[in-house]
Amino acid sequence: MLLPNRRKLMQGSGALLAAAALPSRLRAAALPRVVVIGGGFAGATVAKYVRRWNPQIQVTLVEPNPAHVSCILSNLVMNGALTMSDITLRYDTLRTKYGVSIVADRAVAIDPVARQVRTQNGSRLPYDKLVLAPGIDFDAIPGLDSAVLPHAWQAGPQTLALKAQLAAVPAGGSFVLAIPPAPYRCPPGPYERACLVADYLKRNRRAGKVIVLDANNDVVAEPHTFHTAFQTTYAGIVEYHPATVVEAVDWSARRIHTNWGPIQADAANIIPRQRAGQLLAASGLLGSDPATRWAPVNPLSYESRLVPDVHVIGDSQGTGQPKSGHMANAQAKVCADALVRYFAGEAPDPAPVTASACYSPITARTASWLTVVFAYDPVSGTMKPVPNTLAEAPAPSSEHYEGMFGWAKNLFADSFS
Amino acid sequence: MKLHLKRPPRSVALALLLAAAAAHGAPPAGRLLAAQCAQCHGTDGQAVAGMEKLAGESEGEIYGELVKMKANIKPDEIMHRQAAGYTDAQIRLIARYFATVGRSATTTGAVSSRRKSDD
Ligand SMILES: Cc1cc2nc3c(=O)[nH]c(=O)nc-3n(C[C@H](O)[C@H](O)[C@H](O)COP(=O)(O)OP(=O)(O)OC[C@H]3O[C@@H](n4cnc5c(N)ncnc54)[C@H](O)[C@@H]3O)c2cc1C
Repeated sequence: MLLPNRRKLMQGSGALLAAAALPSRLRAAALPRVVVIGGGFAGATVAKYVRRWNPQIQVTLVEPNPAHVSCILSNLVMNGALTMSDITLRYDTLRTKYGVSIVADRAVAIDPVARQVRTQNGSRLPYDKLVLAPGIDFDAIPGLDSAVLPHAWQAGPQTLALKAQLAAVPAGGSFVLAIPPAPYRCPPGPYERACLVADYLKRNRRAGKVIVLDANNDVVAEPHTFHTAFQTTYAGIVEYHPATVVEAVDWSARRIHTNWGPIQADAANIIPRQRAGQLLAASGLLGSDPATRWAPVNPLSYESRLVPDVHVIGDSQGTGQPKSGHMANAQAKVCADALVRYFAGEAPDPAPVTASACYSPITARTASWLTVVFAYDPVSGTMKPVPNTLAEAPAPSSEHYEGMFGWAKNLFADSFS
Repeated sequence: MKLHLKRPPRSVALALLLAAAAAHGAPPAGRLLAAQCAQCHGTDGQAVAGMEKLAGESEGEIYGELVKMKANIKPDEIMHRQAAGYTDAQIRLIARYFATVGRSATTTGAVSSRRKSDD
C-alpha cells in the first residue's frame, strides 16, 4: 500500500470523523496525532513543518537529550574554531512558536497494531502517524571502545573527547583516521576531518603523519578536492590508503589491525560502519534480511514499505540519497507535506524534489562544497540525481568558508526555529 | 443505527473534517518546492543571516534569476547547480509562491519584508 487513499483514511479515522461535530474541548482528544521519534535535523524539521502547515495536527517529539548537538560544523569544534554552544540547538522554539509537545524520553518499542510508542520511562504514546528519525547506529569492531577512542560521528561529548585527543597528539606522532564503507553519514565528512586534523597539527608545529585508512576503493565524495588537498596542501603529512578495512583494535598496544596487516598509531579516530538507528530493526522496519541496513520507504511520503503508518526520514531511511543534515531537512518537508495531505484525504505530491549541500572546511580559512538535487523518477519509483546538479566546488576558497556559516545558520534556523 | 443519531451522519462529519482540513490541508501550489529553498534562504524565504531573502521578491525576478542560472552554470556557483535541479514549470511555481508569501501574512505570522519592488 503505497498511497493513502480516502477509503483507508476513513477506516482508520472513524473516531476522528465522528468527533468533528463534538464541542471543541472534547474534540481536542481526537485531532490527528503525529509522533516523531528523534529531534535531529530530520525530526525537528518534520515537527516544525507539520505544525506550520496544519496547526490542527498534534505533534509530539520524543527526544532524550535536552538539546541537539549538530554534527554539522562539529569538526570546527574539534579544531577550536567554534565552541559547543555554536552547534547546540535547543527545542524551545519548536515548543513555544509552533506548539510541538516535547517528551524528554527515549522510545524503546513500537506497537504498529495498537499504534503506540513505548518509552523508557514507561509512557505509551498513541499515534495516527509515526515518524522515525533516530539517525544512525554503529557496527561493533572487536576491541574498539568509543569511550576510549571516540568516533565523534554523533556530536556531543564525543566531539569534545576527540578534540582532547587531537590536542594530545605528540609532536611528530601518527594519527590514524579510519573511514567505513559507504553509505555512511556525511560522505565528505571523514576526508574533511582528515584535512582539519592535518591542518591543526601543521599549524601547531606538531605534524607527523595523518594516516587515512579508507574502506572504500577511492575517495567517496569530492575526489578532486580531497585528492588535491592530500597530495598538495598536506603533502608529506596525509597518507591515503584506499580499500583498507579496520578489522580489530588493540589500543593498549596502540595497534590497529587491518585487512593489510597491523599498523601502530599514537592517536586514532575510527569511524565504524553504520546502519539505521537501533529502534528500526527491533520494530521490523528493516525486514527479515539482516543485511538490510536502512529502512525501505516510499520516497513520495517516506512511509515504510513494511510497516503501515510509520514513516522514516533522515539518515535512517534507505532511498539512496546522501545522508546529510540538509537532505534530512528536505526529506522531512516531503514527509510533512504528505502527512498534511493524508489527513486532508489527499495523495502525496507526485513529483517531490530534494537537495543536499555540504560545506567542508579544508584548512582553517578555506572550505569546499558538494551539492546535488534529487527528483522523483516515476518509472523506477525512486529518487534520482538530476543531471548537471551533482558537483563539488572547483577549488576551496575563503569565500566558500564564509558561505558555509551563512548556509549553516539558515539550515539550523529552518530546522529548529 | 439509533446510537448514531446523536452524531451527524458520516457524510456531514466527513464534510466538516475535510472543510477543516482544507483550510490548512490542501497545500498551495509550489509550497513544498519552495520549502526546499529554505535550508539556505530561510523559512518562507526569510533568511536569518548571510543569505539572500526571497520572500517578497517578485515572481519575474525570481523566475528570471533561476532560469538564467540554469542556462549558464558557472562551476564556482553552488546556486547554479540548485537551479539546474528544477524544471521550468517548477521554477515558475517556486517564484509565484515566494512572491505571494512576501505579500500576505504567513501561517507563522512572520513579518513580510519586501527587499525590492516588483519589476
Ligand atoms: C563531522 C560531520 C560533518 C557533517 N557535515 C555536514 C554538512 O556539512 N552538511 C550536511 O548537510 N550534513 C552534514 N553532516 C551529516 C548530518 O549531521 C546528518 O546527516 C544529520 O544529522 C542526520 O539527521 P537525522 O535527524 O537523521 O539524525 P541525527 O541528527 O543524528 O538525529 C537523531 C536524533 O534522534 C535521537 N534519538 C535516537 N534514538 C532515539 C530514540 N530511541 N528515542 C528518541 N530519540 C532518539 C538522537 O538523540 C538524535 O537527537 C555531518 C556529519 C558529521 C558527522
